[in-house]
Amino acid sequence: MKSPTMAVGSLAAAAALTVGVTIAGLGSAAAQPDYSRLPVDPNVITDSLAYNATPPVLNPNGQPGVSAVYNHRDGSRQITSTILILPDAAAATAALNGSRSEAAGEVANGQPRPAAVGAGGEMVSGMSPDGTQSVTVLTFTQGNAAATIQFDGPPKDPAPEDLVVELGQKQDTAIKDWQA
Amino acid sequence: MHKFGIALAVAAMIVGPMATAQTASAAQNSHDSSVYTQPAAPKAAAPKAPDVQLLDCVGGTGRLGCGPGWFWRDGWRGLSCYPC
Repeated sequence: MKSPTMAVGSLAAAAALTVGVTIAGLGSAAAQPDYSRLPVDPNVITDSLAYNATPPVLNPNGQPGVSAVYNHRDGSRQITSTILILPDAAAATAALNGSRSEAAGEVANGQPRPAAVGAGGEMVSGMSPDGTQSVTVLTFTQGNAAATIQFDGPPKDPAPEDLVVELGQKQDTAIKDWQA
Repeated sequence: MHKFGIALAVAAMIVGPMATAQTASAAQNSHDSSVYTQPAAPKAAAPKAPDVQLLDCVGGTGRLGCGPGWFWRDGWRGLSCYPC
């Protein structure tokens, strides 16, 4: 059995540790916005266990924001969400145009079409340049955020449009909630 | 002469029905060369499309409540019903 003195000492140590961690956490939060919770896990629109998330990458390519990759458990599908936080909406639109130029190179013969997601939502579907995968890229902005969600899958099983739009709308809502 | 007339009459009475019968028989001759118009055969009805009940992709009636035309598999939405 522990002595009361040891118990109080342990409690004090634990409290000091908790306070220390909290203060350190607050300090880092003030210095760097936490984007890690921004990407929407695709499991919210599946059977809840279909995708395994990799740790989010903060500030991908040195740009403020976050990128997260979700791998389907069967290894044949992957969803990559990238959300960049820009100074303003104009910068977000400019960043989105850059993302679309990149997407054009990743989707062979893809025809962009409007998508009911966020502001200026657009979707392009097709095959990867080497023809081994189906690729669908959804892009949109929400305020100063520019979002790109890419769906890579089997060549004969592209991501269904309703799933792409549904995940995009949930991502859009998450960004709005984060901005509020 | 009178007897001859009677005999002739009797002979005619006997032969007459036989001759008539032969004529009737002739009417039933199977070698009749008359041309008869064959009644048109009833037209065959156009084949009706088979009444197919759509089953799932493996010929069942739908697994796990998917219903006909749907298939249970692990896809973009995880384990769920997907159209065939």
